[in-house]
Parts: sequence; C-alpha cells; structure tokens
Amino acid sequence: MSAHNPYLEDFSRGIIRENPVFRLLLGMCPVLGVTGYFMNGLGMGLASTAVLIASNVVIAALKNFIPPQVRIPCFIVIIATFVTIIEMVLQAFQPVLYEALGVFVPLIVVNCVILGRAEAFASKRPVLRSLVDGIGVGIGFTLALGILALVREVAGQGTVMGPDPESTIMLFGEGFEPMGLFGQPPGAFIALGLLLGLTNVIFKKLNIK
Amino acid sequence: MRDILRLSITLAVVAIASAALLTGMHNLTDPVIQERQQREYLEALESFFPEIDDYETEEIGDDRFDLIFDQEGEKLGVMATAKTQGYEGTITYNLAVDNNAEIIGIRIISHSETPGIGDVITTDNFQEQFIGKSFEDPIEAGEDVDTVSGATLSTGAMVSSISRTVTAIGENFLDMQRKAFDFEDLEDGIYRGSTEGTYGEMVVEVDFRDGRIEAIEVIEQNETEAYFVDAYPEIPQRIIEEQRLEVDVETGATLSAERIIAAVKDALEGAPEGDGEGGDN
Repeated sequence: MSAHNPYLEDFSRGIIRENPVFRLLLGMCPVLGVTGYFMNGLGMGLASTAVLIASNVVIAALKNFIPPQVRIPCFIVIIATFVTIIEMVLQAFQPVLYEALGVFVPLIVVNCVILGRAEAFASKRPVLRSLVDGIGVGIGFTLALGILALVREVAGQGTVMGPDPESTIMLFGEGFEPMGLFGQPPGAFIALGLLLGLTNVIFKKLNIK
Repeated sequence: MRDILRLSITLAVVAIASAALLTGMHNLTDPVIQERQQREYLEALESFFPEIDDYETEEIGDDRFDLIFDQEGEKLGVMATAKTQGYEGTITYNLAVDNNAEIIGIRIISHSETPGIGDVITTDNFQEQFIGKSFEDPIEAGEDVDTVSGATLSTGAMVSSISRTVTAIGENFLDMQRKAFDFEDLEDGIYRGSTEGTYGEMVVEVDFRDGRIEAIEVIEQNETEAYFVDAYPEIPQRIIEEQRLEVDVETGATLSAERIIAAVKDALEGAPEGDGEGGDN
C-alpha cells in the first residue's frame, strides 16, 4: 500500500472505496431529497463539492490556529460561510437550480460528509492533501447523486435533463406512463437500495474492499 | 483563564472573518439578484398587461400595489405584491387584476412550502381557479375554489390572502364597495351557523333582535388557541359595534377572524332556531 502515491490514494478513495453515499451512507438527506431530477442531483452534488473543497482547504490551513476544544464550532462557522456564499451565487446566477434545491442548499451546512471530512481528514493533514481529498470525496458524492437522480428521473418521469421544459428530453414518447413512485421520496429509498445492492455486487466481483 | 481567552478570541476571529467574507459576497451578488428579480417582475407585468407603458407604485401596509397605465395614460389594472403566512414560511406572490377587478394572473415569487405537497400553490391547476374571479365574486376556500387535500394550510392561506388582496385593490384603487351583507329584514331569534376551520368546525350563535345583532358567541371551535384569543371576542365586538359583517379583520389572527365572520354570515343566512327568549339549547 505504501508504494502508492498518497495524493492518488486520497483522490480515488473518496470516489470508490469510501464513496460517501454508496459505501459510507453519509449525507442521506440531500441524497434522498433532491434526486428527483438529474440536473438537481448534479447541481446539489457540485454545490456540496464546492463547499467541501473550500472548507477542507481552509480547515487544513487553520488547523494549528484552532484549539481542539472549539474546533467543531469553528468548523461549522467555516462550512456555513461557504454554504451561504454558494447560496448567494446560486441565487444570483443559477436561479432555476436555486429554486429547485430550495431548503437543501442551507442544509449543506449539516451535511455529515463535509463535517466528517473536516474532522477526520482536513484537521489532521496538510492543505494540499486535504484539497485532493475534498475533490475526490466531492466527485464521489456528485457521482452518486447523479447516478441515483438519473435512475429516478428515467423511471419516475420518463425524462432526462428535466424539469426545465426547455431542456427536458422525453425518452419514451408521449404515451409513456412513468412509475410515479420513483419520483416520490419512498422511491428514493427503493432506488438507493437497488443501487447499493448493485455496487456491493460489483465491488465483490472486483474484489475491492 | 488564559485558555478561555484564547478559545474566545479564536471563535471571535473565525466569526468576524466569516462575517466579513459574507458581507463582501453579499455586496457582489445582491445587485445581480435584485436586477434579476426586477427583470422577472417586469416580464410578468408585460405578460399580464401587454399594453403596459408605465406604472405607479403605492404601498398599503406590507403590500405593494402597482397601478398599470398604457401609452395614453389609461389605467389598465393593478399588480399587487402581497405576502401571506403559509405552512412553513412566508409566501410572496403577485396578483394581477384588471380594471373590472377581475383576476388575470397569479405569480408566486417565493415560498418555502413542502416540496411535493404545499408547493401545489405554484401549479397552473391551482392558480387557474382564480382567473376570472372578481371583486364581486366570493372567493372562499372549499366553495368557490378548491383547496388541495394534504396541503390545506398552504392552499387555504393562498385563497384567503388572494381574496383579501382583491378586496384591497377594489376598494382602494378601483372605487368599488363590497356589497354589505343585508340583515335588515331578518326575523328575531337565535341563529346558529358554522364554518370549516383548519382543524375542524367552528360553530357560532348569533342573537338577533329588532334588526340588530345583539350578541355573538362562538360555542365550538378548533382554532389554534394562541391565535384565537386575538380574534375572539374582538371580532364579535367589532361586528356588534358597527352592525355589519364587513369589519376589519386585522387582528394578528386574520384566519380565525375571517372564520368567525363566515360563521356569523352562515348563521344569518339560515333560519332562526329559537325566539331569542330563553333559547332552545
């Protein structure tokens, strides 16, 4: 293991071996909440990734300055700052996405993926490795949200690239009756369960632990 | 001691840095957001009033009313920006009304209702029910427009707020007077009436004698107690004092107030139950 490049290891771990959604089951709130449409899932993943990268870097940079007794409040203030920035930026430049994500944007503050990386990784490691870790975990999170949202949108709506009518592509023609359940919150659980099973099978086949 | 100082200073520094950063970002993004909202508002104005040339803004309370004029300076109608308390937060919306006080359009600007449930207020299906309704028409939840089951609070709040806004526009900007409920010719007696509240029925008894409402008693209600005390007995007192049902409902418990009035109206529309001397309950 030690022969590996630590940066490559930090990067890939978040995407595959410790994928926050499929392997660690972290941050389930947005995973279940905003994955009704692919664009929303992708947007949420990217917003979380941006916050994660920024907070990882800042926390790693400040780790010697922040006393351990008050580290959690400091982390949360730092994370909340970046979340609020993202919220403002989305509201200004991506209003459609901002409307679609709604309350889930401010809720990124308490996304345990982000606080988890701050606590378990960034507060103990150098800036550059934390940056790479943030990018890796962020991609892993975005990928998981994107896949889940794609499955749910195709099954639940019969479309991709919705809900904006300008970009929506009907996959199966007008007469198609979608499985409405997948668009609803319970459908998120079912789809997530199926995907977890599938990733477990794949990981077993490929012998990844 | 030194420790506590160090901890506090660290927290303070982090918080101040965060506040400074956010202020900077706010100053950067706010003009963009404002400009976009203004642009969207103008687009909405144009879609509701294609001949718009100019508008004049008036404010009443928290609500904003834009009087719309065409090129010749003729008034085309009024666009209101109003707020109401939904299930989870404030709902802000535009209501476009033409010169005959007929609703021509509704546009939700912002809301935080439950996704998939309360957000039906943004759908065409819900909003289209209001189009064409006017100042003259009663707009009551469940009777003239449908609320949506599962989202009664969100849709009910919209229904009563729209009704209020149309009334405000009609009375303030279009010189209209709501036809007063006429109870001059009613027989003496005790009248009983009810209305459907959010959590159940409200029943009132009205004592009517010699062409006057003498007393109003709410004998059954399922309102939220904290709000209800603001409306009762305040609203019955106002009705008895003014001897009309079109009293001001601004009490801090507007929904309860409107329900009391609706129940009294329902009572007086029916037949008296007793002769008013002793009653028959």
